[in-house]
Amino acid sequence: MLRLSRVPRSLATALLAAALLGAGPYAGADETCNSPYIGNLIKGQEDYVYVWTLGVQGLGDGSDKLVTIDVNPASKKYGKAIHSISVGARGEAHHMGFTDDRRHLWAGGLSNSRIYVFDVGSNPAKPKLTKVIADLPERTGYAGPHTFYALPGRMLVGTLSNTRDKGGVTGLALFNNKGDLISKYDLPTDNGGDGYGYDIGINPRKNLLLTSSFTGFNNYMRDLGEVVADAEAMKKFGNTMVLWDLKAMKPKKVLSVPGAPLEIRWSLREGENWAVVATALTSKIWLIREGANGEWEAKDVATIGDPAKIPLPVDISISRDGKGLWVNTFMDGKTRYFDLSNPEAPKQTYEKVTGKQVNMVSQSWDGKRVYVTSSLLEKWDKKGTDNEQFLRAFNWDGKELRPAFEVDFTKEKLGRAHHMKLGSKSLKSAFGDAEPPGEIAAAR
Amino acid sequence: MLRPCALCGGLFLAAAAFAAGDDGEPTRQLEFVPPPAGSYRLEHIMTAPDGTVLDTDDQPMPLARFTTGKVTVLSFMYTSCSDAWGCPFAYQVMQELKKSLDHETALLPHLRFVSLSFDPEHDTPEAMRLYGGSHMADTGGLPWYFLTTLSPMGLRPMLEGFGQDLSVVLDENGKSTGSLSHVLKVFLIDRRGSIREIYSTSFLSPQVVLNDIRTLLIEQGISVN
Repeated sequence: MLRLSRVPRSLATALLAAALLGAGPYAGADETCNSPYIGNLIKGQEDYVYVWTLGVQGLGDGSDKLVTIDVNPASKKYGKAIHSISVGARGEAHHMGFTDDRRHLWAGGLSNSRIYVFDVGSNPAKPKLTKVIADLPERTGYAGPHTFYALPGRMLVGTLSNTRDKGGVTGLALFNNKGDLISKYDLPTDNGGDGYGYDIGINPRKNLLLTSSFTGFNNYMRDLGEVVADAEAMKKFGNTMVLWDLKAMKPKKVLSVPGAPLEIRWSLREGENWAVVATALTSKIWLIREGANGEWEAKDVATIGDPAKIPLPVDISISRDGKGLWVNTFMDGKTRYFDLSNPEAPKQTYEKVTGKQVNMVSQSWDGKRVYVTSSLLEKWDKKGTDNEQFLRAFNWDGKELRPAFEVDFTKEKLGRAHHMKLGSKSLKSAFGDAEPPGEIAAAR
Repeated sequence: MLRPCALCGGLFLAAAAFAAGDDGEPTRQLEFVPPPAGSYRLEHIMTAPDGTVLDTDDQPMPLARFTTGKVTVLSFMYTSCSDAWGCPFAYQVMQELKKSLDHETALLPHLRFVSLSFDPEHDTPEAMRLYGGSHMADTGGLPWYFLTTLSPMGLRPMLEGFGQDLSVVLDENGKSTGSLSHVLKVFLIDRRGSIREIYSTSFLSPQVVLNDIRTLLIEQGISVN
């Protein structure tokens, strides 16, 4: 974990005077699933959950937006949406990630391939849109920016697709924190690699970067029922993970992990070096660890529900001690808990239907609060009355998920609730961003 | 809890809801063999910012004079920092690096270290000279410059330019404690003033930095054998 140090009072005084102090706060993420380069972990009560929300035509302004939910029980606005900022376009809002200093939150659109940078350090209750990166496809050939993973002073962006054929062969794009493109790295298509991308997970102690693989624009922007019925389309999902030499940014080994391995979670347990991933199509938990022979390997260690029914595990969240794993399965709307005490043999110990469709699951650092959202993709969400759109908060006592509050994103005219990041007013950036430049309006 | 620094006194006793900084010792013992120097590319992350600094003779100088022309390792610090795993840790790593490099006389003309104070009000040029002690630039071996600035506001653009964050620390009621915290970073800058690597102190390894320095020298066509 990163550490923080205090700076001298003289500097603090001078900068604070210029920093427009007010009711300032700060922001975080699913606290157990952050990039290891992110400091400022929120280890107490979080104040906010940011929800990157897909716009719905005819609902509100119809645009994607970043919604701030007040989640502090001590607040008078507890359980309420207290702010939203529209990006003025509907582009399949999907995932987000903080910069290493947690001053900015980067968010991507899978259909318009835009990257939106929000300042959450100046006033975490009211994020501001400060930059739009609209030329990712032109400059890299990649499309569908998905994962935003902080490196010191940089943001590594995992993408899902490409401009050539809108398939799944793609890569990683590296930006500095100012939003300037630094470099690009193709996902390997040789030595067993399929070139597909999805998540990023880094273990600095081992100098390892792991990537997982999903599918391209042609599939994720198509109706799920059509995709499932199309045998050729079903062949176009990722079946690999790649181990990279982080320092050199070179692929070291391709691991066979069939069935679209998605979120990667390295254990935070001291001295342990293993990661888990869930495969969406085959409904498995895979363990990635170093074998006795020193070779890294991927191993199928558990089944999630009944794979024949395609429960579609879509997100996982690991506990801070590495001994527990939340798994959301989209189709049956279940939030499941796996005992990871023995990562070689995870065991499901709890499940609860938390919605008619559930996608992301995030937990607080202490594991006592669990947040669930509903939307997977615009074309993959359920239809009719099954198309619930919400953020639901639960308290977890180790035995039971007890509902705390719910925000109905349809009733509030917000849209489809997708990725979440946690925020706190315990910190406030001393450097407030200037007002958004004029070109943002044009980029929208 | 965060460890209070010497300058901060009771102001820092308030308990903030976030509890970063209690993570103990940074990860120094990396469990890998770094790739050989020159076998990988260090990206151009961004251009190091400029500004006016004061050297230990109290002479105003452009910062660029200390970030261009040679491969530079730069760290922000302040002399009264008592967080053992904050500024002193970065200083210790730089000391180790200097010890490793002092004997490589062919490389020394191409290298420098810079420590730039966060605390211009207390870290006067004289205070920086005392802090630098035997590591001062004019004492032989790898040149190490100990710099400060005229004022906090003069320093601010440089901090922002480097992306060296500062955060306001609030108490449990959301009120400012009057203090700031930061995630400490160390910067590797090439001779053209381009930042080529940024190290967080949590994963700061002398061997990795040494390899990166050698990689930049190889890039310049300098033999590092």
